[in-house]
Amino acid sequence: MSTKKKADLKVIILGDYNVGKTSLICRYIDGTFRPKDPTVGAAFFLKQWGPHNVAVWDTAGDERYSGLSHFYCRGAGAAILAFDLNSSQTFESLWARFGSILEAANEDCLKVVVGTKMDLLDQSNRDITPEEGKKLARELNEHLDFKKMPHEPYFETSSLTNQNVDEVFQFIFQYCLPLSAEQKKKYGKGSVIDLIENSDEHKSTRRCC
Amino acid sequence: MSIKAFELVSAIERVKLMSDKAKTQIECLDVCGKNMYIGTSDCFVVHYSIEEKTQSNGRVTFITEKQGHKFLLVKKPVVQLRGASALNRIMVLCDNTLTLLNMFDLEPIVTGAKVKGVVCFCINENPLRTNPFSVEICVALKKKVIQLYTVTEDRLIHLRDVNVPDLPLSLGVDGIFVCAALTSQYCMIDMDGGHITELFPIDSEQIHPVIKRISKEEFLLSGPSALGIFATSAGVSQRPPMQWSDRLTAVCFVHPYILAMNDEFITVHSILDQQQKQAIPFQGGVFLGDFDGRIFVASGREIYSLVPIPFEKQIQALLADKRVTEALDLARNANKTGMSRDKFLKMFKTIQQQAAFIEFSRQQFDEASQLFKESSIDVREIICLYPHYLPAHSNFTRSVPPLHEIADINQLSKSDENLKAAYKDFLKTFLEEIKGTNFALGYKREVDVALLKLYAELMPEKLSELISVDTGCDLGDCVEWLEKYNRLHALGLLYQRHGESDKALGVWTRLVDSQTSDPSFPGLDFVVDFLANLTDHELLWKYVDWILEKDEELGVRIFTDRPTSEAQSERLRPEMVIDYLHRFPKAIITYLEYLIFQRKLEKEKYHTHLAVLYLEDVLKLMESNNVKKEELDIARSKLRHMLQMSNLYRVQLILGKAKEKDMHAECAILYGKLEEHDKALRILVHKLKDYGAAENYCQLNSQGKEPGYRKRLYHVLLSVYLDPSYERRDTLVAPAIALLNSSVADFDTLKVLHLLPDNWSIGLLSQFLTRAMRMGMHNYRMTRIQRMMARGENLLVKQNFIEMQREAIVMNDEKTCAVCNRAFNDSTFVRYPNGVITHVHCAKNKYVCPVSGKLFSVGKR
Repeated sequence: MSTKKKADLKVIILGDYNVGKTSLICRYIDGTFRPKDPTVGAAFFLKQWGPHNVAVWDTAGDERYSGLSHFYCRGAGAAILAFDLNSSQTFESLWARFGSILEAANEDCLKVVVGTKMDLLDQSNRDITPEEGKKLARELNEHLDFKKMPHEPYFETSSLTNQNVDEVFQFIFQYCLPLSAEQKKKYGKGSVIDLIENSDEHKSTRRCC
Repeated sequence: MSIKAFELVSAIERVKLMSDKAKTQIECLDVCGKNMYIGTSDCFVVHYSIEEKTQSNGRVTFITEKQGHKFLLVKKPVVQLRGASALNRIMVLCDNTLTLLNMFDLEPIVTGAKVKGVVCFCINENPLRTNPFSVEICVALKKKVIQLYTVTEDRLIHLRDVNVPDLPLSLGVDGIFVCAALTSQYCMIDMDGGHITELFPIDSEQIHPVIKRISKEEFLLSGPSALGIFATSAGVSQRPPMQWSDRLTAVCFVHPYILAMNDEFITVHSILDQQQKQAIPFQGGVFLGDFDGRIFVASGREIYSLVPIPFEKQIQALLADKRVTEALDLARNANKTGMSRDKFLKMFKTIQQQAAFIEFSRQQFDEASQLFKESSIDVREIICLYPHYLPAHSNFTRSVPPLHEIADINQLSKSDENLKAAYKDFLKTFLEEIKGTNFALGYKREVDVALLKLYAELMPEKLSELISVDTGCDLGDCVEWLEKYNRLHALGLLYQRHGESDKALGVWTRLVDSQTSDPSFPGLDFVVDFLANLTDHELLWKYVDWILEKDEELGVRIFTDRPTSEAQSERLRPEMVIDYLHRFPKAIITYLEYLIFQRKLEKEKYHTHLAVLYLEDVLKLMESNNVKKEELDIARSKLRHMLQMSNLYRVQLILGKAKEKDMHAECAILYGKLEEHDKALRILVHKLKDYGAAENYCQLNSQGKEPGYRKRLYHVLLSVYLDPSYERRDTLVAPAIALLNSSVADFDTLKVLHLLPDNWSIGLLSQFLTRAMRMGMHNYRMTRIQRMMARGENLLVKQNFIEMQREAIVMNDEKTCAVCNRAFNDSTFVRYPNGVITHVHCAKNKYVCPVSGKLFSVGKR
């Protein structure tokens, strides 16, 4: 894969070991779900968003790559902070570990908190409530203007069932690289725009969680 | 995922190397053009000449010869050594001191060009200044300082300093940016502002830090967990990391491969997909470097070169392993190896084609199709894989060297019918896509023939479109093929397309006669239409019989539906056709109707013939019993219409027959044609008692005739009504009165009065008489008015004439024409009402004055 083209936006995904970062990205990019080997160091994907190129960087969750994650965060315009909805420890790591790593990212970096493995979640017995998640999302993005977002940068997803996956990226791209109505029309044939329309319909379902 | 990208070739063997001291080991080396410099562990610099020879079998060998050596007097190993051929110098780092030596005699330069306390140095390959007689270097000092120098023949000119927080271990430089490995981390240093960007931490105890400049502003660093990490001078990464082996000691780069060395192996990685491609066992390597695209590697006492396998070979090896994506990736990057553009494009196309056939053989049809198109393949290469699909007499041979090893699709599908169908489907789709595009240019026949064969086999419904729209199919083996799959209609169309009407008709007659069902065949109508448009009339006659026997009403359309623009021909003269059609009663009627009503031929013969045929029809119906009345009515009304409409038939002939059979209505019409109105009207009034028809008769027969004729006709009718010799004349009084009072009828009043019986009361006639009076008065007055108006008009004209003549015009030599200004030579001239006088030939328009353009009244006569 050639990376010669300068990307217009860098998106990085962070989170503890085995929370499903690579699965989330693969679900979005390839539209498939497969078990993954642990990521070594980092991986890289390129995505077209209207006229823009978006570089999506997948990092390794393992602690020993922390130094590298820091490096790969540099210049990131948006970060996905992933945690396992079934494990409160991974959620706490977000507070403890990854907040500081993101100092290397752009100052106005959008941080999106994403809970994964929703399909495994027992709704009646949750360790982490959506309110807690949203609270973290608000705190991490204190420097940003919430009015430009349709809602808090918090999502609960499942890469297995493809629930809310596209919406996460949609949210990020829409915030960081807003397309004009004309551009949307021009690139409207691609799957990208269809998802926007879908996401409008599904907004209520996302809110209720 | 291995590939052989490099081959290890010995360059200098140990025996030749240097002093025989057992401890002597190679530490570092550099190659400048044909010179190789080697730094040893016991403080020698050795100079060799080295020349590369390519043997006829493609193998590369090296011829080396020792040129000299120099002992540097400190008994410390030579750590780093770089040649600067532009300066005729080599830079040597030994005992933490950087010095310059003469490139040829290896004598030190003793002008004080020396830096002490140096850990390592490197040359800036993207220098800030462009002086070709200087070299920029970056030096890391023990005292935690990084410095930039410009090196000239005899001096080291200090440019900049930047302090770093830790001891620098390794360096890379590009422009103003220095990438440095410190004991605990990598960092990027902007030498201009002294700004240090931390990249990532390392444990230099565990990892030997390596920095390799890859391209402008991009470095490759050895990171934790044996990762190779890319970093730009902006401090970010634009490529994902690559996985190396542990205990890495050196890295070099020749596009598109990165070579990494540890104690046991040299591994080759592609920068394109970050994957390892080759592993070369190499024990105890101490040095690895690339020098202008050449790679040399040294163990303790021996030097080898890693000779790149030519791209073509690598790609062919990948293709042989069916690793299409990698091969194409590699091929795309091959143009960076200095191949000319044309040569590259040619090679790349061939590779794409080979790749396409590999995808094809794996049923990756989308990829194959795309590659076939991109590489603008000769479409016959594909078609020839399908046995018998190329035109039989095609002299195509597959390209040499072969693009693939596929015999045909039977071999690929291994008699799996589904697979075979998939292959055929692919061919169909592919050909449909390229049909009419540039890809098919010059191969129209091949493409169309293959499509025809496919359609015949799989989708007969598409055949007619293929054949009828500008087809490239020739007759050749298509005929055989269509016969084989029983696509007879398509075969007929193909013959038609090639102007072989006779054969086409032959096929269709066969199709009709054999009753075999070809769903695409529209039936007998189609054949009739075809014959109706056939220009070869000789051929037409050959099939007329056959068609008419099948269906005469349909068949006669061959003669009646001829194209209007068709020229008349002897073979289709109406007489000929009529003679022929005698056997077919229905057909002949239709044909005569066509001649008379549509072509409006006015020949007595046709008209009489048709009238007689109609009459015969009617007679036949009358004779046979249990015929429905409607049927008879229709037949008779047809006959009547014919008799009424036409004036050309022989009336007497028909009349005789009609009288015989008491066909009164017809007789009436016929008498009318003979102008025997009395007889006609008597039939209408006495026999048919149809008074309306009688009045209608008068109306109809007086059409287009002078008013007197009309009056006469009505008078005849009235006299028939009032005929005293008719015994039941009482019944006719009412219609007579009605006729008199009718607004349509027209009479000569005086004659009527004579005719009327004396015993009729005035009351009975009052309406008629009043009307007649009024009419008379009206005519009288109208005539007077007309007379007076005509007289008035006459007066006016006279007045005008007098006025115009009143003024005399004197014509003499001085008078000239108002238009041409020449004298009048003639006695005639033109005078306009406003007095303008011109020649007769100059007066173009008598209503427009030629001088003033005044328009004179046109209305005044």
